[in-house]
Parts: sequence; structure tokens; C-alpha cells
Amino acid sequence: MYRNADIAKDFLIHFADSDAEAKYMNILQDVSNRKTRAIQIDVDDLLNYKDVDEEFLSRVTENTRRYIGVFAGAIDELMPDPTEAFLDDDNDILMTQRNDDGNDNTDGSDARQRMPPEIKRFYEVYIKASSQGRPFTIREVRASNIGQLVRISGIVTRCSDVKPLMQVAVYTCEECGFEIYQEVTARVFMPLFECPSSRCKLNNVKGNLILQLRASKFLKFQEAKIQELAEHVPKGHIPRSMTIHIRGELTRKVAPGDIVELSGIFLPIPYTGFRAMRAGLIADTYLEAMSISHFKKKYEDYEFRGDEEEQIASLAEDGDIYNKLSRSLAPEIYGHEDIKKALLLLLVGAPHRKLKDGMKIRGDLHICLMGDPGVAKSQLLKHIINVAPRGVYTTGKGSSGVGLTAAVQKDPVTNEMVLEGGALVLADMGICAIDEFDKMDESDRTAIHEVMEQQTVSIAKAGITTSLNARTAVLAAANPAWGRYDLRRTPAENINLPPALLSRFDLLWLILDRADMDGDLEMARHVVYVHQHKEPPALGFTPLQPSILRAYISAARKLSPSFPRELEEYIATAYSNIRQDEAKSSSPHSYTTIRTLLSILRISAALARLRFSDTVAQSDVDEALRLIQMSKFSLYSDDRQRSGLDAISDIYSVIRDEAARTKKLDVSYAHALNWISRKGYSEAQLKECLEEYAALNVWQIHPNTFDIRFIDA
Amino acid sequence: MVGLPYDCLSNPLGAVRFAFDKALSSSDSAAALDGKDFGAADLFLRFLDNGGLLKVPLLNSKTIKWLQPNTLVRFRGMIQDMLGNEFYVGAYKDRDVWRTNKYADVSQSPMGSPSNSQIWERRLIYCTPVPGQNDWTEPSASCIHLETLGKEKRQRDEDAVMEDLSSQTEGFPCPKRMREGDTATPSSTIHGVPAEGISSMAMVPSDVDKENLSCLVKIYDSPESDLKLNDVFEFVGILTFDQDISMEKDNKDDPENTICEDLLVDLLPSKVPRIHCLVHRKLAQSDFLPGPVTLEPKPHLVKPIREALLGHLTTLLGNDGVAAQYMLLHLLSRVHARIDTVAVGKLALNLTSLTNESISVFKNRILCILKTLLPFTHDVPLTVELLNAGPLAPRKDYDSNRLLSGPLQLAEGSHLTIDETQLKAGSLDSTGIDNTRVLKSLLEWQKVDYDFTYYKVEMPADVQLLILSEGKSNILPADIVLPFCPSSVDSLGTPNAESLAAWRWYLATMRSLTHSIEPDMQKVLEDDLVAARQTDRSLGTQDFSRLLTMGRLLSISFGETCLSMEHWQMVKELERLRRERLQGRI
Repeated sequence: MYRNADIAKDFLIHFADSDAEAKYMNILQDVSNRKTRAIQIDVDDLLNYKDVDEEFLSRVTENTRRYIGVFAGAIDELMPDPTEAFLDDDNDILMTQRNDDGNDNTDGSDARQRMPPEIKRFYEVYIKASSQGRPFTIREVRASNIGQLVRISGIVTRCSDVKPLMQVAVYTCEECGFEIYQEVTARVFMPLFECPSSRCKLNNVKGNLILQLRASKFLKFQEAKIQELAEHVPKGHIPRSMTIHIRGELTRKVAPGDIVELSGIFLPIPYTGFRAMRAGLIADTYLEAMSISHFKKKYEDYEFRGDEEEQIASLAEDGDIYNKLSRSLAPEIYGHEDIKKALLLLLVGAPHRKLKDGMKIRGDLHICLMGDPGVAKSQLLKHIINVAPRGVYTTGKGSSGVGLTAAVQKDPVTNEMVLEGGALVLADMGICAIDEFDKMDESDRTAIHEVMEQQTVSIAKAGITTSLNARTAVLAAANPAWGRYDLRRTPAENINLPPALLSRFDLLWLILDRADMDGDLEMARHVVYVHQHKEPPALGFTPLQPSILRAYISAARKLSPSFPRELEEYIATAYSNIRQDEAKSSSPHSYTTIRTLLSILRISAALARLRFSDTVAQSDVDEALRLIQMSKFSLYSDDRQRSGLDAISDIYSVIRDEAARTKKLDVSYAHALNWISRKGYSEAQLKECLEEYAALNVWQIHPNTFDIRFIDA
Repeated sequence: MVGLPYDCLSNPLGAVRFAFDKALSSSDSAAALDGKDFGAADLFLRFLDNGGLLKVPLLNSKTIKWLQPNTLVRFRGMIQDMLGNEFYVGAYKDRDVWRTNKYADVSQSPMGSPSNSQIWERRLIYCTPVPGQNDWTEPSASCIHLETLGKEKRQRDEDAVMEDLSSQTEGFPCPKRMREGDTATPSSTIHGVPAEGISSMAMVPSDVDKENLSCLVKIYDSPESDLKLNDVFEFVGILTFDQDISMEKDNKDDPENTICEDLLVDLLPSKVPRIHCLVHRKLAQSDFLPGPVTLEPKPHLVKPIREALLGHLTTLLGNDGVAAQYMLLHLLSRVHARIDTVAVGKLALNLTSLTNESISVFKNRILCILKTLLPFTHDVPLTVELLNAGPLAPRKDYDSNRLLSGPLQLAEGSHLTIDETQLKAGSLDSTGIDNTRVLKSLLEWQKVDYDFTYYKVEMPADVQLLILSEGKSNILPADIVLPFCPSSVDSLGTPNAESLAAWRWYLATMRSLTHSIEPDMQKVLEDDLVAARQTDRSLGTQDFSRLLTMGRLLSISFGETCLSMEHWQMVKELERLRRERLQGRI
């Protein structure tokens, strides 16, 4: 015991944090100056302190309640004198008086007359569990954890009022005038009625004790219930819950619905007296809270666990990260590679930019998936929400009265008008997936214009005018106007959304259920396999775990890539080319606006982030252009076929035009691939084209590198 | 039971103590046991396997009156709620002798200091009789036998218990005596707050009634994944049914503001018996067949039963042979695998074209036959009022810390008939919309979202759904939509008990048959599916899945475990007939 107190003292005096400041002595000084009441001893600090051995550490974490007393004792001894003046309160006056009285009227023979150290303390000691490792779920807290310091996560379901809890009861005796102290450790206590002082005993009088409420010490006390988080509940089970006792400075920190991470001491409440005998076997348990932190669900606050950092580093070195990550999104959904790539970029996003004049340019990518029913749109949406640390899934029609944006509602208890955020506000700094986008209420649809470009929700209702942040990436899924995509009608007729809204989406994909033999066979095989083997067919690759995906994305989001000067020209030409193509076409069916240019920049920046690069490369821009092209082709691929040029001759003309533009006869294979992929063609088609035209003696192909040399004619 | 120093039936705690002492003799301290099983479960398992199971009396609302506390009982029920775990002093030292409190509510002797005790944990499960359980599943025949046996035994057992306990050391107060002593001082709590036993009686949840006896089962040792919500189990354990703990209602200073309520406040022991479970076993449908089964699921034996049942169903459905075929497949369906979100093997049936006249005739006929054939059946007349009335899915009530059951909390393998013809035009409020969504997800994914206020928890379900409607139900998208065309309403002969028993056995056994698809058959299937899709673009994975499910069900309906070409052709033929009917309607 002696040694423990010494270790505690030594630790408090000598522990230095990373800034070489005596962390705890500074806190003690603050306490002494009445600036703070809470002294939180971090187990992590104990872990890092050189003179603390493992044994002491394990004793602290396994018998925490006792060591709170040990540390409190040490703090009592170390408490420095106040360096600043502060106002005396009642308690101090009382204490001064008690000190003045000194020992002259205490005979020390009875424990109850000795002043308990608790009453002198104007601070509270908490021991915070180590933040290393994963917190327990409520289910994992077992009988063997009783008395130990545990860290758990959960959602607060109920919360009581804050009530005073007597910590030390002080009585005065009518006969002898002594102050009698009684320490209260449980929630109920048996008040004293007879003076136990030796004088009263000597005089053989039964001194009547009067409880002095002003002299007694009370603690703030609050009870709460927490419940397991949905993702921690095993299939087919009911979430477990646990009672939390919150004392002192930790009260009023939680409200029902909060997701919190707690550290605390897991303790039994022994039944006392009669109950112990009868129901005695059963002990209720509770968690005495030691620290409370709200769970953060933002990328910016993501902390790496375990070896995640190394895994990310090794992933980043691997060149194929873009494909690897995108394939790992919803791996059970077959195909749709480009859509998955787009969704990956939506998760990564681009940095927000704030111009000098205060204008903000959003960095969030918005994507709209449109397609026939039953093409796994909703599943893609739900999967993305699962991967995103902060994601809200909602349907355009099905959201409650609060809707998508925000609503003013009357609080049933206080009758006050309160603002209630809708799905888009709740998804601030995250992703909002809106299914059935086309069936949205008109009021929400107008509001969504603002959300998608300005990223705020403005409200002017019931005397409340305000603007809420909604910095969210919108991932929408919509059905075509007539339920199924009607190929006889134009895309504009099929897409049941106004152009003003459509132009706000960076990428728009149409997922059509097309008649093709291979796809059908693939589908039939899949279904038969599932029925035959009762398990999904092997994927052919091992998808990355969502946790790794999340970690990688959060690491990527920390970067803010810049555009090098030499790329500006490139992007400008690319943009003007798209505009010109559109102007040339007889039926302009795309909405290439300045927003498209911003989209190119955003997608390129997101791609650079994925590569962990600080500057955007030309390949990023090319890929961005390709994605935009592909997203258009998903809409207008039929037009292209009708335009008379088959794929091969189109590829040829692309390469020829580019070569003519740069006035060169040599075209490297890589460049050619870049150009044609921007137009949405595949490598196989390029090779086919190369062979066909080489046979016509239009160009020569290098046998190894496939580089192209035009035959000058 | 010769040679054993205890009677497993009437003095199970004695057997537990015996096992505990035996385990202790081989290890020096109870700490070494660490709450693990010390051989008691094995001991009882051996006893039950050697024909003991049938001797154990069944606990239900009828037998509860004469069953003695601290005896071995059997309880069949569905896990309705899980109340978390409970810590108890598992072992303690009573003057140098380790004693255990396992499988008991009350300590037999005063416990010493905490240093000499071990805290162990057990899980609490709230079980109710399986919702919609039909009368014929009650093991009436064997029950009567047991009841008479039990009644004569009762007197004898009581004496035995008394003798047994008094012959023990004086430190063991007999439960009887203890109870008497306690009632004398019901509220000698330190606060002196009068017990609120009376008022708390009013708070008893309505499901605790005389007819449906619910039970609080305490589970020891078994891994958590063994018992899942909505599973149907048979528990064998020690019954405790103390009247008195209820008398001391929690002595909290102000009840309205405190939330550290006792889990068990609502579950008064006087209303809800406790079972300290020694052995538990998951029940399949075939376990609910009344008589012992001698038949073997061989194709040649199964075929006549199938023909007879199909014939009966055809008559029942007004000579609509196609409907009868589909009905048979529907009754055999079950979810046998879940892949991603898809529940493989479900076959929800939607009988359409039921007019107001025909529904009155056929609904009762269908419900009646379902009741006599299947162990657990429900029917829900879908109305706007019902949808708006309250949530259909279970939800958590945080005030009582209980899961409130809803009509959609159903045991695995239940059958649910939804009568949509009752639905009139009307407007749904938010509850109603939620309810339709829940119903839809049950039909599409065989999942019910349980409402926990702050989030929903998806519970997998396995329910056969039959929808009766006038037109194709759009609220409830079934796998198979079949226009119902009865040609005549013949009077229905009552099937004799023998064929009923055979049919029940057939439905319960066949549905759990295994099924496989041979590689050459697989090729045929793939080609057929692709060809079908080439002609009809609207076919999707769901339709493929339905066809394969039908293939599976059709072949197991013949008792075959392997899909044959013949059965696959039958499936295609059935689907062709159905398509014709659907097109005929349009």
C-alpha cells in the first residue's frame, strides 16, 4: 500500500507529456486555483511512464476503485497552494472554520469524528482507460471484468435527471456539539441517530444528531442506460444494455441517442441485508463512468487501429490501388466496374476550396444512378453507406415529417419551436444516399438544389430563419420516368428530372438491363450456383475489408492535391473539345456547362488523392474525362451506334485527329489508349483497330510496344 | 436410476450438488471451475438419453398447478426476448466447504465474505409458447399419461423432498420453511418503504395470462450463438416458482426518476416461473408431431401420401388442380440459405381473383386445412385500421426494458395467411406506411426490422406467406401470383386421423430434405434459363430463383433429393399454365 502511494505520487510529480510539461502538476495547480474540478488520470500516461511497472498498471486496471483512492491520497499531499485569488464559497468558510477549531474538540477516538478526506477535496479523480485497442461491446463484458476498468461503446437510450448524491453526511450533536461525519458509498445509507462521540458515551447521554445539509458534501449524480450498437449485435440476438452511473463533472454529457465511448469501472451492486439473503445470489451490475467521449463518425477524426497504417502503406505502393479499391465496393454485385470506380471517387471526394472573396466551391462529388428496377441500385447505395463513416440512407418519399432538409417542430415537453435536421443535415460531412430520387416531394426537391451546390439548408419558418450546414455528397438512385427505361424515347424523356438538377450531378449513370447472351448466362450461372451450393460463387479475388477501405479513404482525404500549371492548358482544351463536339452534334443531349469543368477538376483531384499524391497528374485528368465520357455513353450508347461510325473506324479517326493535332507521325500506344478510353472504348477494341488498319497499310505497329507510326502517304 | 444417490426428477439440485462435489474433489478450489460446467449438464443429458426425457413432466398452463418447485420440468417455447445476462454468486465457501448456487435462485446457506465467493454469470431468456401453435401439436396423449403419473407421484415426491432436505446438514433451510419465514417480514428493508406488491401486480404484461404460460429461462454455459431469437426450443431444467420475491418491490427512493430498474420487476416470479436450464434442444417441426413416426422418407412411401394430400387440396380449392399444386409447393417451402440479402427457398403464394363471394367459402376452408396440417399458423385480415393501429413488427420498450412482441414476431417455419380482400380504400398514417414496408420486406427478403427506436435490427424470418387478394397484390409482392379458378365447390370430406397424421408427417419431414443439382442437370437449367430470358426480357434473377426453388420443392415433394429432368419439365409446365392464366386475365 505504501509503495502504491509512492508510485502514484512519483508519477503525478514527474510525468511529463510530449511538450515536457508536468501534465498532472499543471492540472493540480488549476484545481488549486479552482479552475477545474476533474483530474483525469490517463492509463496511457501510466503506460508511457518509465517508472511504472506492468504489475502496478495491471493492479490499477483491475482494482480501479481502490486506486482512485490511492491517487486521491497522493493528490491531497501534493496539492499546491493557489496562485490566484478566488472567491471563497460557503464550503471554504466552513473548511477554514473546521481547520481553526483544530483538534481541540476531536478526541480522535471514534472514526466518525475524524474528518474524512473526501470532505476536504474539491476535486474528483477519474482514471481513464487506455485508448489502445478496440473498445468492448456490452456483450463482451463478462463476470471476470467485475471491478476492472473497461472501455465500451454504445448508444445512450435513457438518461435520468441529475440529482445530488450524498457523499459525506455531516451531523452535529445536540449534546456535545461535535461534528460527526459519515461517509456514504452506496446509493442508500442508514442515517445515524445517536452521537457516537466519546463525550456523549462518557456522559451516558444519547446525543441527538441533526443532519447538516449545508455542511455535508454532495455529488452530482446521473444514471444512464446504454445499449449495444446495431453493428455489434450478432445475428438473431437482441441488443444488450447496461446501466451507467455518472458522477460529478461527467454528468450532463450525454443525451438519449448519443453514440458514446465510455471508460468506467464495472461494478456489482450487492444487495444488502434482507434482500441479500433472499434474492442474494443475483447481483446487479453497473458501470461507474470514468470518461465519456462522443463517438466521432467523421473521416477527419479517424484513428488508425493496429496495423492499419502499414496495410495502407503497402496498398498505396501497389500500383493497382484504384481497381483494387473499387472492386472491393459491393463485391457481391457483379460487374459495373466504372460505376464502382465513380462511387469510390465519391467516397474520396475532392478538397473544398474557399476563394478569397469568400465563395466556396464544393469538393463533394454528386452521383446519380438511374436504371431499370432490380439492377441492384439500392444495394449499391446501402453498401456505400456502410463503408462511409458517416452516411445516411433515405428514400425520397419515405422520409418522415422532417423530410430530407430540415423542419421546425414543436417540442412536446417545452412547447418551444425547435429545428430538426433532416437526412441531408444529418449527413453533414458525410454521404447522403437518396433512393427513389425521382419520387421526391416537390418541396424537398427545390431545397436539394441549394444543398447540392451551396451545401447549406436554409430555413425560414415559424420565426426561425437560419442556414444549416449540409456539406454532404449526394448519391441518388432514380427509376426512369415510366418505371422501365423506354428505348424508343429520348434519354431526356426517360430521365424524369429537371436539367437544373441534373447538371448538379458530376456523374450520371444509366444502368440498363440489356439483352446480351453473356450477361444472361452469367446471371443464370450465378442463380443456379446459389441454389446448388447455398453460397455465393467465389469472387476470383479477395475484396478488401470495409474497415481497411475506410482507413485508406480517410488517409486519402487528408490530402489536398493541387493542379500544376502545365495541366491547365490540357484541361481547357479537353473541355472546349467536349463543348465543340456537343455544338456539332445535331441533337445536343448532354448538358456540358461550366459545372462539367468543375466536375473534371473534382474527379481528377479525387484520383490524385487516391494515389496519395499532392499534385494532379495528366493521367488523373484523362481518367476523369474517361469516366465522364463513360457516364454519357451509358445514356447515349445507342446514338453512337446509329451515328454510322462503327467503333473501329471511330477509334481510327480519334487517333488520326490527335496525331494531326500534334503534327507527329508517331503515336505511342499509351497515348492512344488514353485518347480512346476518354471516348469510352476498350483496349481490346483498340487492338482490333490497330490490326485492321495495319493490314490496310495505314500505319505500322511496333511488334513489342504496339507504338503506332503512320505511313506517310 | 439404481445406484445413484439422488433422484434426477424430484431432486435435481441434489444431483447438481453431487456433480459439483465430484468436480471439486478433483480440483482444489471452485475458482478453478471458473463458472464452467462441472458435469451437471452431462449427468442430466445421460439421464434424459436413457429414456428419462419422457418421464420429465411438461410445464404448461395446465400442469403448472401441480408441479413442484425445485423439480425437473420440460418446457417448449419460442424465445421471445433476451434479457441479457445476470451475475450471481456461483460458488462460495461455507465454513471450508465450497457450495454452489448454480441452477438455483436462492442460496441454501448464508454466504460468507466476498473473497470466498466466485461470481459467475447466466443468461436470461424470456420464452413464450410458440405463437399460433395449433391444438393438435399439444402432446395430449402422452401428457395425460404423464399427468396421472405425476399426480400420484406428487405426494410421494413432496415427502421425498422433505426427507431429503431434512436429512441434509442443518444449514439447508427447506424452501418451504424459508418461504413461510419471509412472508412474515415482507418489507424489512432499510428504507422501510412499504412494499408495493399490489400496485406492481397491475403492471404485469398482458401476455402473462393463464392460457399462455411464459417462462423465464436461465441458460448456463452454452455458447451464445446456440440460442437465437424466435427459435423454438425445448428446455429441461429445474423449476423455481417462488411467490415471495415479488412481495418486495424495489425499494428505490423515487421510482419515477430512477432508471436502474430491476430487469425482473415486470416478471414477477409468482406469475412467470423460472427454469434453470440444464439441457436444451432446438425443435424442428417434426418434433411437434403427436405420435412417434415410423415412416421413412422414401420416394415409394411418400408418393401415395403426396397423391392423397394433393387430391384433398384440389377438392378443397374447388377442383383447381394448378392451385393445389402450387399450394403444396408453398406448404413445403422454407428458407434454406441466405446469400447476401436473398433468402433462397422461400415461395410466397398470392392467390388472386378471389371475390367477396368466393373468399367467404375458400378462406375458411384454407385456414381450416392449414390449421390441421401445420403446427404454427396465423391469419391476418389486412385492413387500413389494422395497419394504422400499431406497429406489426416487434419493438423495444425502454421503459420496461422489454421487447414488445408484434404480430410479425413469428417462429421459424410459421405459416402466415394475409387476407387482402378485406382492405378498403383509405389513407395510411406513418405507422401504416411503416407496416406496409415491414410486410414488404418480410415478403421480399424474409426479414423483419425490429424497432429499437435509435436503430433497427434486422431479424431473419422464415415464414410461409399466403396472400389472398382480388387482384395482384401490389403492397405484398409475392413470388407466385396465381389467379384462382375454382370450378365447383364440393363438400369436403373430413380426412381420417390416420391420413391427417401422415400428411402432417409428410409436410414436416419433406421440407427438411436435402436437395442437390447434378452437373449435367445444371447445364440444362442454365440453358433453359438463358433461353427463357432471350424470349422474355422481363425475367430477372428473382424469376430464375423462383423456378429453381420450385424445382427443388417439386422434387422433394416426391421424396427425391435430386432434381430430375422429369420434375424440371413439370415445373416448366406449371409455370406455363400459370402464365396462361395470368395472360387470360389481362
